[in-house]
Amino acid sequence: MKIDMKKVGAWFDDRLALTPIFKYMTKKEVPQHEHSIWYYTGSSILLFLAIQIVTGIMLALYYKPTLEGANDSVGRIMTDLPLGWLVRSIHSWSATFMIAFVLTHLLAIWFTKSYRKPREATWMTGMMLLVVSMVFGFTGYLLPWDDLSLSATKVGTNIPNAIPVVGKWVTQFLRGGDDVTGDTLTRFFLFHVCILPLVIFAILAVHILLVQKEGMSVPLEAEVKKKKVPALPFWPNFILREVMIWLVLLGTLLTVALVFAPTLGPSADMMAPAPAGVKPEWYFLFLFQTLKIFPGNMGPVTGEFVAVVLILVAIVAIFFLPFIDTKPEGKKGRIINYLGVLGLIYAIVFSIWSLL
Amino acid sequence: MRIDNAYFTRRKFLNSILGGWLGTLAVTFVSPIVKFVWPPYKEPDEVKLAFADFAGMKPGEVKGFPWGAKPGLLKRAEDGSFIAFIGVCSHLDCNVSWMADKKKFFCACHEGWYDENGMNIAGPPPKPLRRLETSVEGEDFFVRKPGAGAKA
Amino acid sequence: MRGIRIVILVAFAALVLSPLTAAAQVPSSPAAKASIEKELSQTPAAPQEVKPETQSAAPAPAVKPAKKVPEKRTETIVPAFSGIKERTAVFVFYVWLWLSIVVLIYFLRLWVKESDRVYHAKYYEPDESPRKANPMPPTLGD
Ligand code: HEM
Ligand code: FES
Repeated sequence: MKIDMKKVGAWFDDRLALTPIFKYMTKKEVPQHEHSIWYYTGSSILLFLAIQIVTGIMLALYYKPTLEGANDSVGRIMTDLPLGWLVRSIHSWSATFMIAFVLTHLLAIWFTKSYRKPREATWMTGMMLLVVSMVFGFTGYLLPWDDLSLSATKVGTNIPNAIPVVGKWVTQFLRGGDDVTGDTLTRFFLFHVCILPLVIFAILAVHILLVQKEGMSVPLEAEVKKKKVPALPFWPNFILREVMIWLVLLGTLLTVALVFAPTLGPSADMMAPAPAGVKPEWYFLFLFQTLKIFPGNMGPVTGEFVAVVLILVAIVAIFFLPFIDTKPEGKKGRIINYLGVLGLIYAIVFSIWSLL
Repeated sequence: MRIDNAYFTRRKFLNSILGGWLGTLAVTFVSPIVKFVWPPYKEPDEVKLAFADFAGMKPGEVKGFPWGAKPGLLKRAEDGSFIAFIGVCSHLDCNVSWMADKKKFFCACHEGWYDENGMNIAGPPPKPLRRLETSVEGEDFFVRKPGAGAKA
Repeated sequence: MRGIRIVILVAFAALVLSPLTAAAQVPSSPAAKASIEKELSQTPAAPQEVKPETQSAAPAPAVKPAKKVPEKRTETIVPAFSGIKERTAVFVFYVWLWLSIVVLIYFLRLWVKESDRVYHAKYYEPDESPRKANPMPPTLGD
């Protein structure tokens, strides 16, 4: 029997609606202007997410999420498996690159004000993706189960404790008890490889769907002046440019991972005092430092409580930014831009401060 | 098709180079992944045991030892020599047990039987138990795959 | 009216969620822990091994090899190549990777330029194109 490949192709095309999707991609236009470069940040995040999935599955083949087995299993990955240390390094570095690009993506959208009507929901799903990415990093950090990861997790999961009534419950939920134990490890692993992937895919689907629904934003100035912005088709003009960027990012990531591969300390001792230089991942440093500068007690409440409340208020405010910035082209819009710069400087200064 | 001012015939050529190169690059990415997913964990070629653990065995007695991740079975023959088997059924990989009273090896999975020399005598097993070679070297007791050769 | 509805909803939600919260939290009071431990220590005896009929005597007690207890590692593992072979392979791979990136970007740029040119010439816009019947843009291996 001879199989007519054309017919097979047509069958799939028909069932999966490939032609309409393809036609859509050729019709979709990406505006070309001086800020167009930032349109590439979103797809770069997707590249790193894909790398996380591939390397994460590879690590999970040999990782053991138990008190006795975790540290040794990561050690075995690093020493016994072909290029296992490189796989681990790529996973760890790709997490860093991914978060860095998520933050860049967010800032670019902040300063170009692309969150303005009708893209409020896109911004809010994006904020959720930021939080989920950071929780990915936080849960992943514990998995190697060495002294540093144990201490960082103790500090991190203790933060909700500062909030009266509900805080204690949140901490106990995160830890699976009053302390960070083997149960915490198992729970974090479950979140890291099962729950968070499901959550991130769900939110990502909505995020990308919204981007398609609204199309790419044009610069605020052009929109106000009703100027026509030149554009290029998404396929192939834009996507080919994207592929070039992916190639460079991939090469850079793999090279950095090769040169700066992470080490692995001995298994954490739950009874030992905290080691010197306990630090969270770099993207938590400014929060870590913020918590540090508040005094123990501030009047009737603890300083930690004030800090946590302030941070929560900031996060909620950023989440609802599109509704706060109701006049992007006016004075208020400009103030919000300055606040963005201020926030960025704050985060950078505090991160550096925490390292001193 | 070729029209004025377009590189379409050239394009086909360029596309094949591009596609071919991308494909080759993809293969070089896949091969380390494949190596990681199928790591070279194999049965050992030989294991070293302490002879003291086995010297006291009586003729006809059977004792276990670890052959990698498989159970090894060591039997002392009537003449005092050792016979080693891999205690894994030749049918579908179950571990077999030594029935001291019957002087037979038994596989409970599908009721397979082997005689005391490891020959398959009843039930589904298609082949005898796999045999290993033994040698006493000073304090050490080596068990090897046949043909693995002694390390001098 | 509305207020009552909300109160009922919240109460219902709390009712539904309360067992969940209990399940998600490991009891932390020593008394609760002790009771769980007691429960655990009273696990029923392991089920009797099923013996095949043909077997008259029990099999010899499973001959178990002594389990080695690995020593606890105290030093830090530093990533390293397993040998010169691996080092060379990785080196060759990275050279090949960067060479590929350079070459592929060279070709992609050609493709981009051509696509932009074709687009600006309105080649695929049915109204203005000599190619009215097929408005599809170029693809790989057209
Ligand atoms: C969805 C698929 C993912 C899977 C299956 C996965 C799986 C794993 C596993 C098994 C480990 C433990 C091994 C190790 O510590 O080296 C790990 C570590 C880690 N993961 Fe993931 N992961 C995924 C996605 C992510 C994402 C999206 C991020 C961050 C944005 C991330 C960040 C981390 C970090 C920071 C570590 C610690 C690395 C280290 O220091 O060893 N992972 N992951
Ligand atoms: S596996 Fe031993 S008889 Fe089938």
